[in-house]
Amino acid sequence: MDEEAIMYLLLTFMVALAVVLILPSFGKGIVSILALILALVTVAIIVMLNWADFIIFPLVTSLLGMTFQPARNYKITKNQDAIVKNVNGLYYATGYVTANLLPYVFKLESRQEEENQKMLQAPDTWERAIMNIGFPFKFHVLSSGLDVQDVRDELEGKRSYQEFQLSRLQQGSNASETAVTEIRRKISVLQTKIDRISQGEKPIATIMYFETTAVDVSEKAAVDRLSAQIKSLQVSFSSLDVQLAKVVGRELYTLFKFNFSLPTTYTEISGYFDRQS
Amino acid sequence: MQTKTLVLLAFLGVSVVLLAFAAALPSGGLLDILKLILLVLALLFDILAFASRFYTYLMVPALQQRSKDIILSNDEAYTISPSADSTIHKEGSEFVATVYVSIPLYRSATEMSDEEKLDFTRQVSKLVGVSGDPVRFTSELYVMNKDAYIQTLKDTINSLENDVVALTSKKSQPKELDRAKGKLAMWHNMLDNIEKVQSLELVTYAAVSAKGTKEFEAVSIAQQRARDIMSGIGSIFGVTPSIVTGQELLKFIEPEYLIPFSTISEQLSRNIQQVI
Repeated sequence: MDEEAIMYLLLTFMVALAVVLILPSFGKGIVSILALILALVTVAIIVMLNWADFIIFPLVTSLLGMTFQPARNYKITKNQDAIVKNVNGLYYATGYVTANLLPYVFKLESRQEEENQKMLQAPDTWERAIMNIGFPFKFHVLSSGLDVQDVRDELEGKRSYQEFQLSRLQQGSNASETAVTEIRRKISVLQTKIDRISQGEKPIATIMYFETTAVDVSEKAAVDRLSAQIKSLQVSFSSLDVQLAKVVGRELYTLFKFNFSLPTTYTEISGYFDRQS
Repeated sequence: MQTKTLVLLAFLGVSVVLLAFAAALPSGGLLDILKLILLVLALLFDILAFASRFYTYLMVPALQQRSKDIILSNDEAYTISPSADSTIHKEGSEFVATVYVSIPLYRSATEMSDEEKLDFTRQVSKLVGVSGDPVRFTSELYVMNKDAYIQTLKDTINSLENDVVALTSKKSQPKELDRAKGKLAMWHNMLDNIEKVQSLELVTYAAVSAKGTKEFEAVSIAQQRARDIMSGIGSIFGVTPSIVTGQELLKFIEPEYLIPFSTISEQLSRNIQQVI
């Protein structure tokens, strides 16, 4: 959680806390209990908004029937899952699916042979998946270099914390074998990452996603066809063993904007994505 | 002060004021209901204050337009630079130029040995780290536009049909007539097969953006970044990447360029036939 999130949470929680403080002014009956329940519900909604706004936001826009026009001739549907373009009476619906393939191929805890095996299979798996698809799609990999020193410092900090946890656990009389193994595994993963950076490998942040477009004579038909295409993409690429989630809400708008202007710094990218991707 | 901060403070302010009113009102009877209504409104504004963290870009136009169909922008999403080699998008007072680099990769896993497959995957992972700046690499599968080819086939068939008619009326040698009829049948088969199958093409490209206070500044920085990426791609794959220009750019941006119109009409007529 970043500083901005903490600030927003603190400020808004203070209002809910203020409700608790002024509870005596609501008397001692049912009104006071209702006020407390309302304050708790507000806190719950704020927490949900912080971690899963992509569920709440489409729900609200869908209930209110709200649509957005991000640019001329384009429209974001009320369910926030497609961007529709009307070209001379034909509707082109575009949708997105997240697919972070890199951890699949470069899983750090896997042994060298396992990693090689996966890398060997990757081109075949990719081609087989593509051969089953009969509609247009794009697979995007948005990458950005990270500051080597920052990443190294962060990893070393995490390793030190894990080492401290391990020594504390081992000092205890009844240290669980499973917990010790788990911490050792975490330390080994962090050490591998540090070693890779020491060997000159550049730390890279990536965002990977699919984009597909469906066309039909009405908006609804195009969106329905798009849903079918997204499902088909999810089935075809499931062999890559990655999580393929349909993008909804504000990240849909962000990905749409990427078609015309990409972020120019890593800070910009990280500000856009924090949950679905 | 940023719009986002202003929106947060405005919603929080309204929330606190409503809460103060609710607290100040005396209890009892109908006033309790009023107190609760004020409390609900205060908490609603509190939720809106938090939501403004993500949705300020929607809240301001929504409040201004008070409509279900909110217009965030009525401008064209982008323009193409006068040199036709980049797209330009205006963000506030700044311009963002995006350059597309075509990567000519025509290798298939079916014709690779195990070692080549491993090398290829390593090359792809190297490609991802080719630049420190944000770069987007894309593999795009689109429906080939065969309209021009189909038209050529139709023209050939028309000309051959004329030949057959001419040969029949001239009562020429049966051999010559048979050959012309054979040719006509061959081109008819060709046309039938071409129209039956939807051909797809896979292209790979990279896109990079740069900001500038002037259009030409953004374009020249983006072009420079694109050239750096091109040299990186060239050294990894041993191919010659090129900057995409003109009409070709639209294929990577506009959805209607992914599916040619003839394919759509065929798809629609097929749907109608199925319904009937």
